[in-house]
Formats: sequence, structure tokens, C-alpha cells
Amino acid sequence: MTAEHCVIIGNGPAANSAASTLRQRAPGTRITMIGRERLHYYRPHLLPDFIAGKVSEEELYVAAPPFQQQCELKLRLGQSVVATDFRKREVVLDHKEIVPFDGLIIATGGRPRIPEPYQVFEGLMHTLKTPADAKRWIEKLDSVDSVLIVGGDLTSFRVVNALLALEKQVSFILSEDSFWPVPFGEEVCTQASARLKEKGVEVIECRRIKRIARISEDLLEVETDRKTLNVGILGAFFGLVPDVKFLAGSGLDIERGILVDEHLKTRFDRVYAAGDCAQVFHPGMRDYWVSIGYHNARTLGRIAASNLLGGMFAVDVAPESIFQMDGVAANTSWWMEF
Amino acid sequence: MPVVDVTVEVCGMAGDGTIAAGGLINEAMSQIGFSVLGFDSYPAEIRGFGRCVTHSRIGAGEIHSPGERTHVLISLDDEQSKSRVPFLAENAAVFFDSNPPAYIRENKSLVAEVEPSVLLYGMPFRDLATDVSGSARGRNLTALGGFCAVCGAAPEVFRRVIAEKFEAKGDKVLKVNLKCFDAGFRYAAKNFSDRMLKTFAVPMKADGPAKVMMSGNEAIGKAALDANLRLYFGYPITPATPIMEFLAAHLPLRGGRVVQMEDEIASLAAVLGSFHVGSRAMTATSGPGFALMTELITHGVMAEVPAVILDVQRGGPSTGLPTKTEQSDLHAAVFGGPGDSCRIVIAPTSVAECFRYTVRSFQLAEKYQIPVIVLTDFYLGNRVENLPIPEATEDEKADGNLYPDASAKDAYKRYLLTDSGISPRALPGMEGFIFAATGLEHTESGAPNYGPDIHTAMTEKRHRKIQRALADLPAPVEFPGPAGRDVGVIGWGSTFGSILDAVNQARARGRNVGALKITSIFPFHALEIREFMGRCDEVLIPELNYEGQLANLIGHLHRKDVVRLNRVTGIPFPPSAILSKIEDLVAER
Repeated sequence: MTAEHCVIIGNGPAANSAASTLRQRAPGTRITMIGRERLHYYRPHLLPDFIAGKVSEEELYVAAPPFQQQCELKLRLGQSVVATDFRKREVVLDHKEIVPFDGLIIATGGRPRIPEPYQVFEGLMHTLKTPADAKRWIEKLDSVDSVLIVGGDLTSFRVVNALLALEKQVSFILSEDSFWPVPFGEEVCTQASARLKEKGVEVIECRRIKRIARISEDLLEVETDRKTLNVGILGAFFGLVPDVKFLAGSGLDIERGILVDEHLKTRFDRVYAAGDCAQVFHPGMRDYWVSIGYHNARTLGRIAASNLLGGMFAVDVAPESIFQMDGVAANTSWWMEF
Repeated sequence: MPVVDVTVEVCGMAGDGTIAAGGLINEAMSQIGFSVLGFDSYPAEIRGFGRCVTHSRIGAGEIHSPGERTHVLISLDDEQSKSRVPFLAENAAVFFDSNPPAYIRENKSLVAEVEPSVLLYGMPFRDLATDVSGSARGRNLTALGGFCAVCGAAPEVFRRVIAEKFEAKGDKVLKVNLKCFDAGFRYAAKNFSDRMLKTFAVPMKADGPAKVMMSGNEAIGKAALDANLRLYFGYPITPATPIMEFLAAHLPLRGGRVVQMEDEIASLAAVLGSFHVGSRAMTATSGPGFALMTELITHGVMAEVPAVILDVQRGGPSTGLPTKTEQSDLHAAVFGGPGDSCRIVIAPTSVAECFRYTVRSFQLAEKYQIPVIVLTDFYLGNRVENLPIPEATEDEKADGNLYPDASAKDAYKRYLLTDSGISPRALPGMEGFIFAATGLEHTESGAPNYGPDIHTAMTEKRHRKIQRALADLPAPVEFPGPAGRDVGVIGWGSTFGSILDAVNQARARGRNVGALKITSIFPFHALEIREFMGRCDEVLIPELNYEGQLANLIGHLHRKDVVRLNRVTGIPFPPSAILSKIEDLVAER
């Protein structure tokens, strides 16, 4: 089928890849892309390098493809979808606007994950998801010399490299809940710890953070079960969780992400999900898996758009490339890139 | 001096408080020390529906025209505000109600229209107002609070201006409005910290003479007061009614009277009657009303009775476009009416000139015993500027009448043929003089006479004094100064500001361009205009009319055809259109 009006929720790699595919394969389709962030399409994996001053702000952004420049899609930034009605084929934006669609691709990506025990300290923690987050890091790093990283996702190691390049004093807390989505066995922990120490990072052996208090504008006191530290910035890196809160009660099947079949189709006709927000069925494994990373997201975006237009392309992932972690299977191109 | 040149628009449905919000922005920015040029557009209907828009160009330097691109749009009604989207500048800021009373479809959404580069500031205007005041009426004030916070304008100045506006309505009303403003300010400060613009957070010195925000119509009203107006006669008509409203509020306090007449004919008849007995009077109208006055204008010409008539032009012909601007009454002002009925026509180009030339029109009318028509338009009449408080000098206010020598009595001739064409005028009640006033052709003593010699002599006399008046009328002014030009742009009325901006932009690009401002439309300074034209390879005359009415009047003074640039879009002339034409002419050379 040819969708008359295709709405894409999201403005990341999966969403833009989907838009590009739609435009190429269905030139007459009206495309609306709705992004909650006010930012244009950027490369999240370059944010640590931006902090380190190795890439400019301009280099963070993907140059608008021709179809965007020619205004052949309506890009709506800084606007959030807050509700959906898949039977009426409508999404509702946060300012009470109803946008009808013929086809929908949900590609909202993920948001920084803060494990439940740390959520009370969220206001004192720096995360890194957007260029705005990176600018906050840069601004703060101007006035502080020490940084404590908690969590051990893939971004955290790139941030460590950036901080060391800036000659900052870096401490790191590795705990069981923090190395997501990579399996956090003793072997990996030991390797990571050794590698960090080699680079001059102080690795704090502790089980948990008990208390965080702001002493001054540029000083935090972090009390763990082993020792108390004074640091300028506390960075939290626990991976991303799919950004699908707005779909609660929508009728979509959601576990860790939106459950879709191998064609990325949800249980509703002409509604697809792609990228970090999707949990994809693997017929071989007879289980769902999640995808992480820029290149995976682009691939899934392309497949979702192709299938919306009538294709029957399946996501082709070898079972052995999928990690298992806490009962969640994950395919992370990011890890491979790292 | 900081570089600030920002255009702010407030758009809503009639009844949303749009015009009030725009007025508060103008006043606050003026008090902060910025130059302000504001202009409102609103529906022709009285109230209840239709789009209202206020445009405020705010800058640190001189401002001559309304901005063409909107940098900040405050939407009080999204469906109405959609019409403003094409005018948004890149990276404009749009404030809108994020929680309207009903769901809106995509095709009626303002936000759906804007480009991704536009910064969106969704605020629950109604909810914020209702929370602090129990009613959503103050949503325009919450919007202002948000604008003030994001744009970095001094909130204390806004609060002062709100107090000045609402204090007369009582403490309760004032407090409610301040609460609504504060609620919007707090909301924006809390929720938009990641996108504060701080546009107006620049040091400004509000030094120099005290300034006041004034519209062209208010300036005309104040000028009439300062010129010792005694009587105003008028019939309400958009867009001239604000003059009547202003005078109704102020003239009685000075012992004068404002009388609403049954129509425009009666209004001018009463003005002539008032001047007839030596009392300064005035009327103000617009196209359709002016048309009714034409016969009496010629009566004033023939009887040689002064009159001051304000024509605030609107789109025409006939009832036309009541709330749109146009410069299409020039022919009617100069030529309207039967016979060779020459009169004085002056067209101010700014609010300050509205004041200056209205004051002078009384003296000119008296001195030359003739109707003086001051020609403004919807845009100039309604636009506000902040300017030093205008005051009339004693010379400007002075009685312009030429009274007969007391010893003349028996020999007195009301229409004495003189070299200047001006005959001493005795007023009814002056002891010993026989008074005459007639619309019939007449002898020197005022007796009806239709003889060829008399009619010829009297027609020449009436035209002689008009030519003599030229010395008392404002001469054309050249910008930036006399020189040979590739392109010379001539303008009149409200369009001249746009011309000046366009010429300045062209000059900044290295073009050899100049401008000539013509204020005295009739009689006009043919020598000076011809001299200017003679120094220009091309002469361009932009006007807000279809026929090129000024070009028709003065075009023959150029050695070749003048280039006409005419628009009848109902909105002020955009400088970019003039600049574009200048570039075309330069390229064609």
C-alpha cells in the first residue's frame, strides 16, 4: 500500500532512515516527523568527542538530506506525542493537537536509564543523551577537576576517555547493575577495571552509593559503603531505556520495548516500531530481542518504512550476535563499534 | 549602542486582549529606552470575531517602518495566528497556549505550520490565568509574562506599565492583571531555562527628553488641543474615530466641545460655520465621509472660509476596506469637487509630523482662508511611536487671520483683489464691517456676479494665494543630502518610512540612491522636485494605490517617465519590495 500520510515519531537514526526510505520509495507520501527534542538529527555516539573538543558542534549533526531541505517532509521539533488512538489512526500532541495518519512508525529511541536505587539522586547526576546534555558537561567541566562515573555502559568508557583527554581526575564505580547491556561477569569486570586503572582512573570497589549531598555549586559529597568522595561531577551511565511511556494504555504490547514481529509490525495494521524503542521477535530464537546503536537503528528504520509501504522484509540478525542480559536479548552495534 | 531590531507580534481573536497586550509591550519597551514603532490591525466588525494583530518593531536605533519579519509571535488564538506563520523570521520564537480549551485538528494548528527552526514556547495561558484569578480573561497577561521572562525584558517595567494601564479600573482589577503577568513570568522562568533568548537584556539608557507613546491619531488630537481648537464636529468612521474619541476625552476639559453630527456633510458645514465666526474647528473622516464633504470643501474655497479636515485614508473606493491602509484619496483630496477649487493638502510621514502639520494647518487655513486637508492613512493614524512629547510653539499656535484695518470700515471689501490673493477677513460681529460669505461667484464686496472678468479675476486670486502658500508649506527634504543619483525615490505619507529603510539598505550595499520626502502635496514645490529629479537617472515613486496618484501629479516634472511601484494590499509598504525595485533599476542601467 502507499500511505497517504505517514507519521514518524522520533528524530533519531531509525526515524530519519525510515523517512528517507519512505521518500525514496513513495514520493507522493506526505511525511510528518515529530521529535520531542528541539534538535535536528545528530550522532549521539559523537557526544563524548564533542565534550573532549575533538569534534565541533556542527559535526554532531547529520546534514539535512535533500528531502528535508526541499521541505518534502514536515519536521516538527520540540513537540511530544502524548497519546495515540490506533483505531482512529490519530496521535495527540502535548498541546492537544490531533494528527491523523495512514501509517505510523514509532522510533522514539531511548532515554538515559537510572536504576531505581539511584533515582532519588537523579537531580544531582549528569547523563549524556543529547547535545544539550553534552553542553552541560562542558560548562560544568570548566569549573571542576574531578568526576565520578557510576554505571558502566558503553558511553561511560568513551566519556572516561574524553575526561582523561581534558586532564580531569576520574573515579569510577562499577557495580552489578551498571554494565548494561553487556553481561557483567567477573571476567569482564576485572578486565574493565584493569583497563580503567591503566588509564589512571581510580576504580572504587563498593556495593552501593548510600548518600549524595551537594556541598557547594562545584562540589558533591558521595558516600558509598566503602568510602566517601568529594567530586565535582557525578555522571550516571546505565544505558538507555526505550522511550515509550506515552504509549501506556494505547493497546500496544510493551515489555522492555514495543513488541513487534520480525517485520517490525506491531499488532495494529500499518503501525511499526524501529530502533531502540522496539523489541523484535526472532523466529529462530522464538524470543524477543532489543537493538542498540546507530547502525542497527538505521537498518530497522529502513525495514519498517519498506514494510509500511507493502514490503515483507524481515530483520536478519544471527542469533549468536545477540547478547543475553537479565533476561533481555540485545544486539548492539554500538558495542561492536566500541 | 546594542544592536537590537526585533519585531514582535501579538495575534488573537477580537476579544482576546490582543491589542491591549501589544500596547503594553510598546509602552514597556519605550520606558526601557528602546525606539518603538507599533501598528495594529483588527477586523472591521465591532467585536466578537475576526483577527487582531499588533506589530511592534523595537530597536536600539531609529525605526522608520514596521518590520517585515516577525521575531517573536505571541499567539492568543492559534487558528488566527496561522496567518502570521509566513512572516516568521528564521529562529523566531512562538508563544502559544499549550492547553487550549478544546482539541484542535492538525489543519487548524499553528504549531503544525512552523518551520523546525522556530523556537516553541507552549504555556498553559488559560490555566495559569485561571489559577491566580479564577478566570481565563487574563491569559494575555500570562502570555506577556512569559514573553518578558524569555526575552529578558525588565519585569519591573512591565509591572509598572500594567499598573499605569489598570489602576484606573480599581485595585482588584490591577492585582488580578499583575498576578496573571507574574504567573506567566514564573512559568516561563521555570520551564524555559534551556531556551532563554534575553533579546532585550541589554543596557539601555532612557536619557534625553522624556518620551511618550503616541499614535498618529493621538498626535493629531493633541496638536488640535495645542492649537487652541474650540470645536470638533464629526461623524464616527474607521479609522478616523480615535481622533474624535481623543478629543471627546480632552477638549471639554479645556472649555471646548465635541459634537457628533448626523453625517460628514453636517460636520464640515459646522466646521466652516465655526471658522466663519473666528473659532478654530476641525473634523476628521475617511474616504467615504470625505467624499460627502467635497461640495462643502469647494464652498470653503469659493467663500474663502478656513477649515481643517483630517482624512485618515483607508482602502477604497466606497466603503472599501475599513481597517486596511491605502493612499488612494490623493486625487480626491487635491482635485475632489466641482470647479477650479484649489486647496492645501499636507501629508505627514510620521507620528511627529502628524502633530507638527496639524498644528500648522489651523494657521495656514486662517492665513489663506481656505480648507486645509491633512492626509494620513490607517497605518499612520493607528501606528504608535515613542517620541519626545510634542509641543507647539507660540508662533505655530498664533492666529493666522489677516484682519482688516479698523479704519477701512466703509471701504472694506471682503474679497479685495490683492497681489497676494489674500483679502483681509472681517469676522461677524466686528463693529462697522459689512460681512459677506458666499458660494456664488462674487465681486470684491461679495455681491453675486457671474461676469467673465469677475470670474477670471477671482479664480486667479484664489489660485494666487495658493501659490503664495507654498512659502509657508514644508519644502521637500532629500535624504541623505543633495547629490547625483542613479535612482531617486520619491515618497509621501506613511510610505516614506519604508522608502527610507529601503534606501538606507540599498546605500549600505553601495548603491547610489537617494530619497525625497514630499509633505506638501498641494500646492507642491515643483522647482525643488524638478531639481531633484534632474539629478536622478531614474525616479521611482512607490505608493499604496493602484493609479500612482502622486506620480500622476508630479511625474511630468521628470524628463522621462517616472517608474511607478504601486500596491493595494491593504498593508504598509514593505521596504523589501522597494529595495528589490531599486536593485532592478540599478541592474538595468
